[in-house]
Amino acid sequence: MATVTARALPWYAPPRVARALRQVRRYPVVALSLLMFLLVIPAVLAPLVSPYDPLKGSLAKRLKPPVWQQGGTIEHPLGTDKLGRDILSRMIYGARVSLMVSLVAIFVGGSVGTGLGLMSGYFGGKTDALIMRLVDISLSLPTILLALVLVAAVGPSFGTVITVLVVLLWARYARLVRGETLSIKERDFIARARVAGASHSRIMTRYIFPNVVNSLIVLATLQVGYVILLESALSFLGAGLPRPTPAWGLMIADGRELIVTAWWVSLFPGLAIMLTVLSLNLLGDWLRDHLDPKLRHV
Amino acid sequence: MRRFVPIALGLLLALALTFETTLTPGAAQEAKAQKLVFASAGFEDSNRFWMVSRPDHLQYDPFLETLLEVDPKTGEYTARLAEKWQASPDYKEWTFTLRKGVPFHFGYGQFTAKDVVHSHALMMRQEATATLVGFWRQVDEVKVVNDHQVVFRFKRPTTVMPYAASRAGDLRIVSKAQWDKEGLEGFDKRPAGTGSYRYVGRQPGLSITFERVDNHYRGEKPAFKELEFRLAREESTRLALILSGEAQIADLPRELQKDALKRGMKIYTSSFPVDWMTVYLGGLYFLPGDTAFKPDVAWTKKPVRQALNVAINRKELLNTVFAGKGTPTYVTGWSAQSEGYNPEWASRFDQMYGYNPGKAKALLKEAGYGPGQLKFKILAFTEPGESEGPQVAEALGIYYKDVGVETEIEVLDWAKVREMFRKKTIGCCIWPNIISWRPAEEWIRISNHSKGPNHHYENEFIEKTYLAWAAAVNPGERQRLARAVADHLFEEFADIPLFWFANEVVANPKVVGEWVYPGLGAGRSTHFHLIKAAK
Amino acid sequence: MQRFIARRFLQSLLAIWVMSLIVFTLARVTGNPLDVMLPLEAGPEEYERVSKYWGLDQPLYIQYAIFLSKAVRGDFGSSWKWHGHSAMGLVRQRLPATLQLAGFALFISIALALPIGVLAAVKKGTAWDSVAKIIALLGQSLPGFWLGIVLMWIFAVHLGWFPTSGRGGIQYMILPAITLGWFQVAAIMRLVRSSMLEVLDSEFVKLTRIKGVPEWKVVWKHCLRNASIAPLTFFAIIAGVLMTGSVVTESVFSWPGTGLLVVDAVRARDFQVVQAVVIVFAGIFILTNLLVDILYAYLDPRIRYQ
Repeated sequence: MATVTARALPWYAPPRVARALRQVRRYPVVALSLLMFLLVIPAVLAPLVSPYDPLKGSLAKRLKPPVWQQGGTIEHPLGTDKLGRDILSRMIYGARVSLMVSLVAIFVGGSVGTGLGLMSGYFGGKTDALIMRLVDISLSLPTILLALVLVAAVGPSFGTVITVLVVLLWARYARLVRGETLSIKERDFIARARVAGASHSRIMTRYIFPNVVNSLIVLATLQVGYVILLESALSFLGAGLPRPTPAWGLMIADGRELIVTAWWVSLFPGLAIMLTVLSLNLLGDWLRDHLDPKLRHV
Repeated sequence: MRRFVPIALGLLLALALTFETTLTPGAAQEAKAQKLVFASAGFEDSNRFWMVSRPDHLQYDPFLETLLEVDPKTGEYTARLAEKWQASPDYKEWTFTLRKGVPFHFGYGQFTAKDVVHSHALMMRQEATATLVGFWRQVDEVKVVNDHQVVFRFKRPTTVMPYAASRAGDLRIVSKAQWDKEGLEGFDKRPAGTGSYRYVGRQPGLSITFERVDNHYRGEKPAFKELEFRLAREESTRLALILSGEAQIADLPRELQKDALKRGMKIYTSSFPVDWMTVYLGGLYFLPGDTAFKPDVAWTKKPVRQALNVAINRKELLNTVFAGKGTPTYVTGWSAQSEGYNPEWASRFDQMYGYNPGKAKALLKEAGYGPGQLKFKILAFTEPGESEGPQVAEALGIYYKDVGVETEIEVLDWAKVREMFRKKTIGCCIWPNIISWRPAEEWIRISNHSKGPNHHYENEFIEKTYLAWAAAVNPGERQRLARAVADHLFEEFADIPLFWFANEVVANPKVVGEWVYPGLGAGRSTHFHLIKAAK
Repeated sequence: MQRFIARRFLQSLLAIWVMSLIVFTLARVTGNPLDVMLPLEAGPEEYERVSKYWGLDQPLYIQYAIFLSKAVRGDFGSSWKWHGHSAMGLVRQRLPATLQLAGFALFISIALALPIGVLAAVKKGTAWDSVAKIIALLGQSLPGFWLGIVLMWIFAVHLGWFPTSGRGGIQYMILPAITLGWFQVAAIMRLVRSSMLEVLDSEFVKLTRIKGVPEWKVVWKHCLRNASIAPLTFFAIIAGVLMTGSVVTESVFSWPGTGLLVVDAVRARDFQVVQAVVIVFAGIFILTNLLVDILYAYLDPRIRYQ
């Protein structure tokens, strides 16, 4: 039963618990549980878990403080906003919105970027040069400015925000995948496949892509947090999701001028963003360290 | 060693950029006892007043004067740079007798009629975009009778001239001598005016400063030697400025006023209501032959318009979104100061427009819209200093939902909404908007007249009556016609009138004593020379 | 080497040109600037007159041609909102403020990240490492404007240590720079840490230790030097991020820089200024990237032949 422990366990931990703790320490427990609690569970179970309709409010109940302050009630544990809507409910639905926006944006942006990156790395030559120039241009587009101008043109909507995010995200995937493709394509098994007569697309999808997936996962995880932050920044500037969507970023923007008087309107969604992004970053870091240490530069 | 270089360079670069001092730290000085700082939501910062809209004339109020004054207590037009003014019997010519012995700042000589001609000519420049430029272009000729008398001759009769030439308008009198000597460049750098403050300088994007002038021709003696308007677009920044003592007066939204009051600040209200908020309805183009008219727009039917009005609990809306600070608007565009105001509206308002969700549902049903059958968009936008638009839109959405009307809120920018009601493509929607006071005739001309720039509620009666009113010069006749137009709008539920708001600024009572200002002046917060220091 | 530089330079020019096309089109798609410029009172005659004055009545391709011909000479036209100022003049006027803020924020991030990164590397795997990681990550997880407002509230209003807004001496820069810079601390720290780890393990360091050089000297003098090369690429990215991230920070602290300028310009549909700012930003960014690429190619010959 002699397992070498790297650290001494607290004297009060009985042996069986000690072994369990050792197992648990291998995984980023804190990060994962925060994530589940703050993002995944509320997002998925929103209609069941949320006490009120996030869009319905009563002006008579506006700006009620959280339950532990003077004037707060248990009916609205985190208080209400400018229009009397329950903050807790809006935060729960906000998790859903944040998750949806980031997943869609990353999926679309990631797919586009991966596809282009694969082609760029695999075919090389003119395709590569062209795509890399596009990457450069897209990375040089001033993020927020592009969003502002685009949203001013077509008005804030879910689609516009996704478009902006996709335009901003795809390049990083393209660059990453291209780099990986370049190193993978020289390997033996690729040469063998080519000799066996596999078509280009088959090689890219069946041989190269699976080796790239690990890095993609790490990048994607790290980007969810970034996307959530970006969306909140866009909302702050008025270029984000349309009202009255219960999005965390919008909630902070709404409570912006109230940050002293009715601090809870901005504080809780701000905390939610912070903790969610923090746990995503921790998770991403852990994934990076464990899936592929080569990815330090991601 | 070689590899150390990049990071060293980077740090050096960062440090160098940090300590670069291209901008003078003028604004960094602590507020001197003699300096008054006003934290404003922002204005187009430029000295070219002929390109600046009326609300942003706030920045000219201390140092550039107008021909007529607006009395801070009564709102009447009184003498300023002009001592007397009179219209010809046909109201096509306005003669102004100018004051003698008025010096321009910086030694540019005495004020004469030539300066009036010059100032008007600035309004006629091709790039001029000030609020009343359209009006000033109606002037055929500005004739100099002698050094102290000038006549404005108009193409059409007008009674609006005193308003336009007053502190509520935008004709700033500047020095021709300066222009002749220094041109536009010199004017941009340091405009000479006649006010009791004179221009010191600007820090672009940050502030504009003035200093007190001794021996003002009208004997105005401001209590504060230096005056600064600081631009701070964020509301919480303005609150922070005044609470930390960096600013002594701040333009704060109602929500934050509570907090300022809690910490000992005081609110200074304008003598008169200055802005009104109404929810406008698109698509009401009833003039015969108007192709923009679409009969499927629900509120072309009067019962629907009334329903949209009575579904709203105005009192609750006022208390929640505007902290109770406002008085009712009975007819859009009309305040008690307006021509043709009818005191009867006040007593009849509750019965016709009062909150009654049951009545709203019944009216809708009568018009053929059962619960959930009426759907439309509410457009909202925000401007610096006016953040309540979207809140009101959302509140409306909630009230309408209660009576079975489905709404969708779309937040656009102001310019888009404006384009829509200019081009009559706004039949889909309703939108709340805050507009500042102007003479009722002007308001109707620009909003309810087929040849005007914007198109809200238009029909034959309004058209006919307005034209007669605009041509009329007899005061009694004008009152009658004005009232006829207003009564019609009242009876027909032309839109959803909400509230009148006075201008409110928050000031530190330890520094600022009494301050009476009308609110009707261009820029809303005006008459800074009347601010008395606290004891 | 020359061919490489020439090729990259031409590609950069192409990138800038494409940017100008994108911005020009997008800016005009946002709508008619006259609706912002002109007052409610303005009728069709006013629209026509002002439109003619600014050349907006011309077809789009002519407008673009005029714009391009002037832009290559550095003339981006007159601003429509800031009357009397040229678009480029405004950018030039406001850019130093943004660069100053970005510079100081960069300085703060490096000043924070360097010791934390070194500490984390040296004490790898211990609590210090985790604490360092969390402090840095915190910065990356906070919404910038929220942080700014909270900092302003605590330090400027309640404690009164710093002014709330505006520009002046160094005390005006501290809060905005922290708000702007904290975000980068994580990334820089991670880079420093991993570079340090690589170096700490290397042969020559082991040699230095055997020679008897004190540990602190090993860490700070020898390892750090070699660990510094990786952050090089970073400067380019950070520069871009800081400059655009400044939009939000400048808003909160009323810092009169280009970020605030562009937000106001977009709102006012002042295309001339929007174009000028975006192209200048993109230009700086693209050229910085180019310089870094060239520097890298100089340091690592393999890259030149890609």
